[in-house]
Amino acid sequence: MAALTIDNVQKRYGQTEVLKGIDIAIDKGEFLILVGPSGCGKSTLMNSIAGLEEVSDGRILIGDQDVTRASPKDRDIAMVFQSYALYPNMTVRQNIAFGLEIRKVPKAEREAEVKRVAQMLQIEHLLERKPSQLSGGQRQRVAMGRALARRPRLYLFDEPLSNLDAKLRVEMRTEIKKLHQRLGTTIVYVTHDQIEAMTLADRIAVMRDGELLQLATPQEIYDNPANQFVAGFMGSPAMNFIPCQLAQGDTGIGVQLEDGNGQPVWLPLPDGGAGLQQAQLGKTVTLGLRPEMITEPQPHKAGQPLVREVAIRVDVTEPTGADTMVLTELSGVEVNCRVNPRYPLATGQLASLMFDMSKAVLFDPITEARLDN
Amino acid sequence: MNNIDAVQTLSEAKRAPLARIQDRLADWLPKLVLTPTLLVVLVCMYGYILWTGLLSLTNSRLLPVWNFIGTGQYDRLFDNDRWLVALNNLVLFGGLFILVCLALGVFLAILLDQKIRQEGALRTIYLYPMAISFIVTGTAWKWLLNPSLGLEKLVHSWGFDSFSFDWLVDPDRVVFCLVIAAVWQSSGFVMAMFLAGLRGVDQEMVKAAQLDGASMPTIYRRIILPSLKPVFFSAFVILAHIAIKSFDLVAALTGGGPGYSSDLPANFMYTHAFTRAQMGLGAASAMVMLGGVLAILVPYLYSELRGKRNA
Repeated sequence: MAALTIDNVQKRYGQTEVLKGIDIAIDKGEFLILVGPSGCGKSTLMNSIAGLEEVSDGRILIGDQDVTRASPKDRDIAMVFQSYALYPNMTVRQNIAFGLEIRKVPKAEREAEVKRVAQMLQIEHLLERKPSQLSGGQRQRVAMGRALARRPRLYLFDEPLSNLDAKLRVEMRTEIKKLHQRLGTTIVYVTHDQIEAMTLADRIAVMRDGELLQLATPQEIYDNPANQFVAGFMGSPAMNFIPCQLAQGDTGIGVQLEDGNGQPVWLPLPDGGAGLQQAQLGKTVTLGLRPEMITEPQPHKAGQPLVREVAIRVDVTEPTGADTMVLTELSGVEVNCRVNPRYPLATGQLASLMFDMSKAVLFDPITEARLDN
Repeated sequence: MNNIDAVQTLSEAKRAPLARIQDRLADWLPKLVLTPTLLVVLVCMYGYILWTGLLSLTNSRLLPVWNFIGTGQYDRLFDNDRWLVALNNLVLFGGLFILVCLALGVFLAILLDQKIRQEGALRTIYLYPMAISFIVTGTAWKWLLNPSLGLEKLVHSWGFDSFSFDWLVDPDRVVFCLVIAAVWQSSGFVMAMFLAGLRGVDQEMVKAAQLDGASMPTIYRRIILPSLKPVFFSAFVILAHIAIKSFDLVAALTGGGPGYSSDLPANFMYTHAFTRAQMGLGAASAMVMLGGVLAILVPYLYSELRGKRNA
């Protein structure tokens, strides 16, 4: 049985549709991440789950209980906010115990619960402090402690890490993941950071303009995006989108583009271009190829049927230590390649790079929809 | 290249004396501009405070006489029945005025904070009394509260002959009339202060409390209002010093009457220093009032300045 079911949820403000019929169901213990650019409706969906905003249409079920019209306090959920939203006049102890106190939990139980949560998050030494005396990371812990104390059925995280500095964000991210693995809680987590989404989620829901574009595991979203928007949003540096023509080759349908010399190059597609019709030959399409699929020639891959070497012109190199990002131009667009730093490259010169087409995807240049599969 | 350098050096050398004067002027300008104000404040505020303090130790009557008699004027002051009435009135008036203003101000602010329509217009209506001087407030309320002119007359003419509202002429209740008028004038201001405070409250915090299961009254009582403690403190200090220096309201509304039953210390001071030729006694009462204001302001300033340093 699903821990949370979102059934055709719609939300309108007057004429503006903010949520256009969202369907999501997650199981108990699952970590769902809602991701998308700002204004995509992910926060509205989160608030609707929490009951802080009413939905215009559709149903929300927590467990098998319909909570669509229930008030926030009757939904048995806890939420961690971006601003932490700690009560400034209360100590950390009172902050964590407040929800229990309101629910008339006996004092002894409250104390025990505060102790348990404080131990779990290692904030025991902070219990008598006020929020104003805490650092950002400590406040974040307290906010999580407050959510954990009530042991609700569902946890909501609303961009909880975006107010932290980069290093702390990575630390807290790991900590949240550990916590989730240890407690097996059901979590809905909103973020606009695709790395957070990839690292934390069991499943990711990518949203845009109030629509759910794709709901899948992180790897599935990464390898098999539903459309060009999802493909471009997930992954950093972003996927390369290269305009090219569908063309027949010796192993089936492939794509044709211009290399760094201006010479036409034919590249194969996975499964010989399965899902494409002969009639589409010559049509302009957008080839989606992630930077790590364009590398220095690797001998162990050399003979594989989907691997080709292409001459490119090195425009800019950006060493990151682990890899060197090479910027080049193919068919008039900028293309990012991820190359081993030891591979000799000279800016402005031609270099031969290996294109691994096994994860290549095709998009319609106008509708941005997937063309293969 | 060398040529250009030479020309530049030359022009700089020419400019130098002028630039030096300008630099010196720029150094002196802030001091020059601030000096008159500083002098005026030093002489007219602190100088006269000192002078009043010295006067309170003399037996001056109509004009200052430098005949020091120690604390004799203070002894006389605290034997004076009229002064004790004034002090008593101040405690009663000040206490009620501050309490009612705070309560009403908070209440109005909470109501206005419920995202209502025409909030701007309503806010202005409540805030407007603040724009009127206490003299006007006092005069208007004198008419309203006058039994033969205002409210009582109105209700009588509606046919309720037994209605009685004569606090303005009742020596035991006249202080409450002062409270009514002062509250009418100042509660809007307190409301504006609290409204600003409420606007600064993190809405996510309210949502968090809702999810914790708290009802709106509980959220206000347990979380929002306690987090507005600094606003309470500022409002208290502002209201307290308004209460202590209240003079014009009494002068316009009751004239201190009936008898001297609605006198406040400021009226006592004025009457004795300037109309009854008791300058020494008046000065002593002024110093006692100064003491009262300082007793409120010093802890306030201390906490404000200390808070700044910590921040």
